[in-house]
Amino acid sequence: MAIWMTHFHKLGAAAALATAVSVLPGSVSAAEPKEKAAMPGMGGMAKKARTELASSAAFAADGRLLAVAKQGEHLMLYRSDDQGASWSAPVIVNAQPEAISGDGENRPKIAFAQDGGVLVSWTKPLGKPNTGEVRLARSDDGGASFAAPITVHRDRQEITHRFEAITAGGDGRIYIAWIDKRDLESAKAAQKPYRGAAIYAAVSEDGGRSFKAEVKVADHSCECCRITTAVDTDGAPLFLWRHVFEPNERDHALAKLKTDGTPSAFQRATFDRWRIDGCPHHGPSLAVAPDGTRHAVWFNQKDGEGRVFYGRLTANGVDGQRFVGGEKAAHADLAVAGRRVAITWKEFDGETTQLHAEVSDDGGASFKPRVLAATGGASDQARAIKRGNDLFVFWRTEREGMRVFELR
Amino acid sequence: MRHFCLLLLLVLACMKAAAAEPFLALDRQGARSLVDANSHALPTIIALWSSDCSHCKNNLKLFARMAAANPRLRLITIAVEPLSEELAVPLDRLGIPGARYAYGPESPDALAHALDPKWRGELPRTLLFDGNGGKEAVSGVMDEQGVRRHLRL
Repeated sequence: MAIWMTHFHKLGAAAALATAVSVLPGSVSAAEPKEKAAMPGMGGMAKKARTELASSAAFAADGRLLAVAKQGEHLMLYRSDDQGASWSAPVIVNAQPEAISGDGENRPKIAFAQDGGVLVSWTKPLGKPNTGEVRLARSDDGGASFAAPITVHRDRQEITHRFEAITAGGDGRIYIAWIDKRDLESAKAAQKPYRGAAIYAAVSEDGGRSFKAEVKVADHSCECCRITTAVDTDGAPLFLWRHVFEPNERDHALAKLKTDGTPSAFQRATFDRWRIDGCPHHGPSLAVAPDGTRHAVWFNQKDGEGRVFYGRLTANGVDGQRFVGGEKAAHADLAVAGRRVAITWKEFDGETTQLHAEVSDDGGASFKPRVLAATGGASDQARAIKRGNDLFVFWRTEREGMRVFELR
Repeated sequence: MRHFCLLLLLVLACMKAAAAEPFLALDRQGARSLVDANSHALPTIIALWSSDCSHCKNNLKLFARMAAANPRLRLITIAVEPLSEELAVPLDRLGIPGARYAYGPESPDALAHALDPKWRGELPRTLLFDGNGGKEAVSGVMDEQGVRRHLRL
């Protein structure tokens, strides 16, 4: 009890530092989707349903906050007119139930077409392990209802098409990129070696209603780290992902895409030289400031120590690279609003998972740390989001549900 | 005592041949006990894996082969994801012996910390116990020579 009280007070004090609003279980909440029952023949084991917390949130142009989360074989869209203090009854995104990836580095995403269309993307796992299709559903009425989802790629092999990232370019096109193993599978069939997987992209010229045939962005991506995307100052989309540089350095690569989805530029973005034959399960985040500065956070092992880093990606390397948080900092995300930069991450302190943030008001030259919240249960990765010049953190936890913290 | 242990191992090996071990849900206390170096009187490999990790299969196959060749070597697998019946499929297909665990309903962050405070989630992650109180942790795909070195075999 004493321990519980200690953490209750810690949480209370931390929450007071930020303007926090939360949805508690019992109200309209995506906190605990009830899914699979415990397996028969597993006597004495967990009886609790598996909770897949992976979710995303984004502010629409009209200031309304949208959040998407998985519930069984459906994605549910929640809308809030008060920055997450209360949420509408959820809208089902996919009327027909289907398998949906929603844990760890997998999560559904939200993007907005130039005409106001709401786009929700996700990965639909297929029968074989680690296989999937990239799916997308569009709403023409602000998320009140959705058209039937489409599969964005033409390739329908039962292989990896997973970990998609989606953005609307400044030109109104919708760009979506994902990790794709068609080249790995071809190489395997020909008994040839192939490092990692590949990045493919597809472009929509009708606001996400349909996509042109996908094109390859790059060979040799890492296999299961989330991809991140941002829009450059000229409106062209940027994608950043964990790559496998020769022989097995799992640093990051950055590509700028042309209007057909092929890269106009490809560069190595980080230089930590983490050599591992393994799966880091820890993808990066990227945001571009109005002055063109590319702010990024990522995880790497450097000098034998696995840490989260912040830095500004330039043509000549990383500017201002430094640690973010402590030794247990994990899954950082980042957003930029004008000169303001917000970094958020979670960090386990031995008893609870703490939600941290750092905010810069001077374009990333200096940051002020904040502790926003804590939870004793399972939690999703934190998401940094923005509305105009306002920055927020969205965090979904098993016990507390969906919470939004404004970073003033 | 030694003969008894060998007999016990033989019986366990026969049981394993008859049916794969059922999965057990891991809690914080169980995790701490499992990784206590003093609790391992025999060379032991604890292999952390997940269904998403293609590299993990390379390690699991190697460990299974080494365990089959050395009756003193124990293998324990821990799927670092929530318990589900699908988890048995890859282990059965690869013929992976030994006790099988997966995450129970506690916070995954807490379970990961209890297993290995230095671990940052990368997979495969392998904890190697030499049976004399020695313990090492290695991330990534391993080779037999490396496993033997860490186990002092």
